[in-house]
Amino acid sequence: MTPTATSPTDRARREWFLLRFSWHMQDFPQKQYRQIKRDLRRELTTAGADMGMRHTVADLGRPRTLADGYIAELGRPVPRWTTGAVAASLAIIFIVYLGVAYAIGTVDTLEAMGGGTVTTYPFGAETIFTSTADEISVQTQLSAAGASFFLGVAAVAFILGSRLWRAFR
Amino acid sequence: MPDRDPQLLKGVLPMLVLLLLTEGESYGYELVTRLQADGLTDIAAGTVYPVLARLEREGHVSSRLVASSSGPARKYYRPTADGAAELATALRGWDHLSDTVRAVLDRAATPKEQ
Repeated sequence: MTPTATSPTDRARREWFLLRFSWHMQDFPQKQYRQIKRDLRRELTTAGADMGMRHTVADLGRPRTLADGYIAELGRPVPRWTTGAVAASLAIIFIVYLGVAYAIGTVDTLEAMGGGTVTTYPFGAETIFTSTADEISVQTQLSAAGASFFLGVAAVAFILGSRLWRAFR
Repeated sequence: MPDRDPQLLKGVLPMLVLLLLTEGESYGYELVTRLQADGLTDIAAGTVYPVLARLEREGHVSSRLVASSSGPARKYYRPTADGAAELATALRGWDHLSDTVRAVLDRAATPKEQ
């Protein structure tokens, strides 16, 4: 017997569901997840041929709920690596934003005071703020203390965001 | 059909899955339709698949691929020896629990003598 080919529309519907499901399964142990995804694609394809892909996908419910079901069946909490990475990125972005806001404020202050140059040493890095009629600039360099500060903030945000301790349970 | 607490089903679903697979091997969606035919009309595939995945991961069911006319090979599941032992344990636990619950319900339903 020749297997029935899945139509492009059904394939798109199936893959769209699996893509959303994958997003919510990012933190699931990868080896097991690959097997689950293979099985799910197989079930969707065969059941979709029997019952219609729209009905089959609808019967699986929301991708997030299905993913939660698989995670619950693991019987243990898993670290949320993706959330940790996002938290670390946001923490770095926030610090950079604060730095840029501080630099703009300093340059504006210099301009309000009639222009000039000021040198500061945040985290041991020489930073020169200049605001003259010819030049508006901020020059700085990365110091070991500054790099440690960035790494430390990113690490704390990652540990808290990912619930890293769950990996050691 | 009366409303049912989903947690009630969650506790016994692995036992029901093992029981049905003992009666006859099934692929995932077929198992869902068998559960629905047995009265769990509102059960969804999304509830059964994670349970099947866990049972397979824990070695309580094994699987084999069987060619299908409607696409890729279907994955048929059946209980392993470990699964049969797990089922026997679950059935004993269920019998004990249901006897206890029935006794309490019967007593509550019987008017007290003055």
